[in-house]
Amino acid sequence: MSQKQDSYATDTMIDLELIQRAKQGDMGAFEQLVFRYDKQVLTIAARHVQSSEDAKDIYQEVFLRVYRSLPKFQLRSQFSTWLFRITTNVCLTHRSRRKRHIHTSLSQESDDEHGGALSEAITEPSGADRRAERSDMALHVAHAMESLSSKQKMVFTLKYYDGYKIREIAEMLDLADGTVKRYLFAATRKMRHALKDLH
Amino acid sequence: MKHDQYKELLHLSFYHDLNDDEQMVLSDHLKNCAECQAEGEGLKKLESALVQGQRFEVNDQLLDQARRELRVALRLEAAKQPLWTEWLERFNILSHPGLRLALGGAAMLVVGFAIGYLVFMPAGMTNSEGAMQGLNQASVQRSETRVSNFRFAPQSPQAGEVEFSFDMVTPVRMKGNVNDNAVQRVMAQALLSDQNPGARLLTVSTLGNQVEASKTPDKEIKAALIQVMKLDANVGVRREALKAIQRFELDEDIKNALLFVLKNETNPGMRIDVINYLEKPVLTHKLVDQDILNGFKQSMQSDNNNYIRIRAKNVYEEVNQQ
Repeated sequence: MSQKQDSYATDTMIDLELIQRAKQGDMGAFEQLVFRYDKQVLTIAARHVQSSEDAKDIYQEVFLRVYRSLPKFQLRSQFSTWLFRITTNVCLTHRSRRKRHIHTSLSQESDDEHGGALSEAITEPSGADRRAERSDMALHVAHAMESLSSKQKMVFTLKYYDGYKIREIAEMLDLADGTVKRYLFAATRKMRHALKDLH
Repeated sequence: MKHDQYKELLHLSFYHDLNDDEQMVLSDHLKNCAECQAEGEGLKKLESALVQGQRFEVNDQLLDQARRELRVALRLEAAKQPLWTEWLERFNILSHPGLRLALGGAAMLVVGFAIGYLVFMPAGMTNSEGAMQGLNQASVQRSETRVSNFRFAPQSPQAGEVEFSFDMVTPVRMKGNVNDNAVQRVMAQALLSDQNPGARLLTVSTLGNQVEASKTPDKEIKAALIQVMKLDANVGVRREALKAIQRFELDEDIKNALLFVLKNETNPGMRIDVINYLEKPVLTHKLVDQDILNGFKQSMQSDNNNYIRIRAKNVYEEVNQQ
């Protein structure tokens, strides 16, 4: 067995044990289960909604749903697959309570509400000039992402930023591989169009 | 292969999703196809813009905040869930739309009465009355209830009606013996919800001293201290909780919590404290526990701190030699 397969099997065993204990009401086990994946959940959410507050709302909603549904979880699929499917569902149906989506004009300065929200949520590379330049470009990229439909944006961020395989994204979103590719290629086209004057 | 299929390969290549054979087929095609070369250039420029844009990572502070908020939400969920789920499962009420509607109406009525009671109840009476009845030896003083965060709903339901929300806060001052279970439980609750790290630190310290005196801790206090040790955002508070927990008799809950700290805690000082604490019963044969040995083994192999790796290795090897 390869090292990767070995690690995969170990992860699955750990998940199974924690799930069984959590199903019996062991909150400590549930927490450990959460901590194994929660950074990925928060990252997916933050990239999708571009707001730390909304990302936290999604994070909480996802794990509350997991907590409520765990007793019925039949172990037919990987826990992580199930979790990320819930995460993408919550992201796709989420409506910002604070209306922080980027509908503001790019002519606004980068320290506006959106810029602030993003800067709280992300870790920037070092170097003041590069940071300023990147922050400006980040705003353009974020604006370009807003031209995508919700599913296009989800597929694009899962593929480009998180590096999931087409098959994995298809499982998360409960779509056919071909449909995922269609969303992905449409997203690429739109992103190129939105950023064409900048590169 | 049709031209569109090469284009698909080109786009998949942008996302690093081609195997070696497909990449070779695409490279051969690109040598002779000007259209795909131009498309490839465009994708490279997009890549450059996205790289400059940033690749954002969620920082630890945001993750800590999210975890703390989730912890509170889970406690509320855990408190309400068993009653509801048991009741609903028993009567299978949600499968009948008519009953569901009636239940919803009844629930709205109950909520209405509850709000009316809260707003119009006699002065000096609060909904914390019941919770405070157990404080036999404690004296409780409540100040005037304050209404804050008053907000009108964006649209009122009908003409002549208003809809708004607000928070009601009643400051309560308690005085009682630290041995009083009710006092301790209020403190344990405060540990998990208070926003002020200084107050949490003092609460942990007080509870810790109490543990030393009694050696028979309340189950709820023990659970609260464990939660704080594992999850509190402030390292000082976590460390104080660890100190308090070390005064308990080592049992399965505490062992698991300490192993959790050994594996997940970011502060190396706390990880060292855990090793120091766990090595004693292991080395003196009072406790031969495979979980603890595995914990040491894992630290010895993967902890990012040199000293901790060496300490864990020494203990692990010493136990194995015995």
